[in-house]
Amino acid sequence: MRLRVVAAATLAVLLGVAAATASAAGQRAAAGKLTVWLQVDAQSGWPDLVAAANQQFQQDHPGTTVDVQYQNWGDHLQKFDAALAGGGGPDVIEMGNTEMTKYMAAGAFADLTSLKSTFPNSSNWLAGLAKSGNYGGKTFGVPYYAGSRVVTYRTDVWKKAGIKGAPTSLGQFTTDLQRLAKAGSGTKGFSPVYIAGTDWYFAMAFVYDYGGSIAYTHAHKWVGNLDSKNSIAGLTAFKNFWRAASKATPTSDENNPAPYTVFSQGGAGSIIGPGWFSCCTGAKYKGVTAQFVMPSHTPGQAMPGFLGGSDLAVPITSKQTALAADWIKDFTSTSSEKGLQAKGNIPNATSLLGNSVNERAASRSWFVPAAKHWVDVENGNILRNMLAQILKGKLTVAQAASSASDNITSVLNQP
Amino acid sequence: MAVSAETTRAWSRRRPLSRARVVRASVPYWLLLPVVVVLGAILGYPIYSLVRLSFQHYQLFELIRHKGQYIGLKNFGSVLHDPVFWHTALRTVIFTIANVGLTIGIGMLLALLFVRISTWVRVLLTAGLVLVWAMPPVVAVQIFNWMTNPQNGVLNYALTQAHFGDYFQHDWMGSTLSQLGLVTALIVWGALPFVAITLYAALSQVPNELIEAAEIDGARSLRVFFDVTVPIIRPVLLILTSLSILWDFGVFTQPYLLIGQPHIHPGNYLMGIYLFEEGYVKTDFGRGAAISILMLAMVAVMSVAYVRRMLKVGDVE
Repeated sequence: MRLRVVAAATLAVLLGVAAATASAAGQRAAAGKLTVWLQVDAQSGWPDLVAAANQQFQQDHPGTTVDVQYQNWGDHLQKFDAALAGGGGPDVIEMGNTEMTKYMAAGAFADLTSLKSTFPNSSNWLAGLAKSGNYGGKTFGVPYYAGSRVVTYRTDVWKKAGIKGAPTSLGQFTTDLQRLAKAGSGTKGFSPVYIAGTDWYFAMAFVYDYGGSIAYTHAHKWVGNLDSKNSIAGLTAFKNFWRAASKATPTSDENNPAPYTVFSQGGAGSIIGPGWFSCCTGAKYKGVTAQFVMPSHTPGQAMPGFLGGSDLAVPITSKQTALAADWIKDFTSTSSEKGLQAKGNIPNATSLLGNSVNERAASRSWFVPAAKHWVDVENGNILRNMLAQILKGKLTVAQAASSASDNITSVLNQP
Repeated sequence: MAVSAETTRAWSRRRPLSRARVVRASVPYWLLLPVVVVLGAILGYPIYSLVRLSFQHYQLFELIRHKGQYIGLKNFGSVLHDPVFWHTALRTVIFTIANVGLTIGIGMLLALLFVRISTWVRVLLTAGLVLVWAMPPVVAVQIFNWMTNPQNGVLNYALTQAHFGDYFQHDWMGSTLSQLGLVTALIVWGALPFVAITLYAALSQVPNELIEAAEIDGARSLRVFFDVTVPIIRPVLLILTSLSILWDFGVFTQPYLLIGQPHIHPGNYLMGIYLFEEGYVKTDFGRGAAISILMLAMVAVMSVAYVRRMLKVGDVE
């Protein structure tokens, strides 16, 4: 019996020691280290730019190491929430521009207003992106890069269909679809334009093109606007275009399968997505890949595209705001932004803009409502669900739009 | 009489309490202490925190400041007034009944098969089941995803080749029924090994004489099964079913990953997902805590109802 008492006591002591050393180790690790959370896009697309920024930073701050941890879009916010609650979070975090408002409103980020002028090109930041990092007149997010959506297509299919050049209007593109479908009819399940059924970024482009919108503010309240006449016209145009263009399932999404995978397997004459999709069209079609700007229903104009993008922010829990800001300066330097541009992104400042298809597409763009709870609409899949219902034909466009619109109104107006 | 007098005397002899005796008598409690402390730390405190959280307004703003606001029962009120909660609860109860029923039913059939087959087939089958068991859920989900992929999945290919119709690009995520059906297949498949092997162990405890006696009395095999076998393995059946209810009611990993975040919406929520969406995705932690307490209550009601029913059936016989 005494042996057991001794054993139990030993175990208790060991547990206590383990707990004590674990917390001590956690504290030690924080000193002299800057933790950066970037999204995987940087890991797969431009690790060289990250390395260059780290090198520059370490030259200026010898003794401080940079620990870049790559995150996934799917769960990075939940991980960030846990870090905010329990500590051990990053000193710099990349946020999607649609995710910023909720966190700025809750006070999750350090106020960088006084440092704004010290960031490279800050007087020429892209207006749309700078806005996503601004809340209540204060700067919390530094624009990192933006991306617009373009059509990536196979010139050989276009040639076979006897179509010359890019369409200049939605009407012309729609007429071309039949010939494109015929040109690809040798492949089972061939889509003239592969569009995932629930690709809301593309569907909303139609809504904005026809003068509609997702929501607007009236008397300090958000009002869902998908059930307006113009929005319904846009959604109907999307439905008609999708039915003629895409063989994707109505419930499919634009991540799984990735449109460029369908493209590289020969299943599509063209795909819709960020400009960098040209990276991955496969060895077989590399030589026949080209891009154009999605045309509007108004001839000669571009269809407004979703202006995606990312900001860099410093969480309020970081004890090294100045160091974090210095790293952001290195990572958003002119040379770094030029590097991002070379990879098919839109740089963060108007003074750096060129004339690529990506940058031309950004001439007309739309952005999600700047509401604190917008991200809940996005993660609640309200728009995706509406699109699936419309494309399956389960509900009419007006029915699906009206129910989604009510839903959006109630989510955006949460306290 | 004599015996009782003896006992009384023995008892009274023990009465005088020496110091050594007190110490010796208290040893078991001292030995229990570390366990109680550890359990209190890893179970008691979190449950206390959860209950406290459920009475607070606790969102992102409060999370950053580590301080919630007490709002009484408002979280519970808002959950109970949310029609999504009631739809989800009903859907989850039906889902649980289907999953537990299939798991126990097929597990039982497998266990009965085990009894009849030759040793080497049994070893082969057991090895197969253990392999299933050894597969982490996330890996299993990925494999199911590949198999049911509308473009290149083997399931659509096989169904089309076997002339069940044209399943080219059939979308298994196309409707809620199909989504949850697939999740059920995955869960039952993953749970079968444990249930089948445990039930087989229980079946081997059923004395052969009882079965032979019943057969000699002219009982048919179904009758033998329900009147002889089932009563004997009832304790095991009870534990397996209760555990399955617990697991299937709160299941999260399989449906969340298999259906996939972009396809999850209030029309196909299960309780675990509802809790995750409301608590973590919308960062309303107070409301999330209230939901998890309500879930706990629902599981308790389901389990108690089931256990009582089983015990009552036992009383009648």
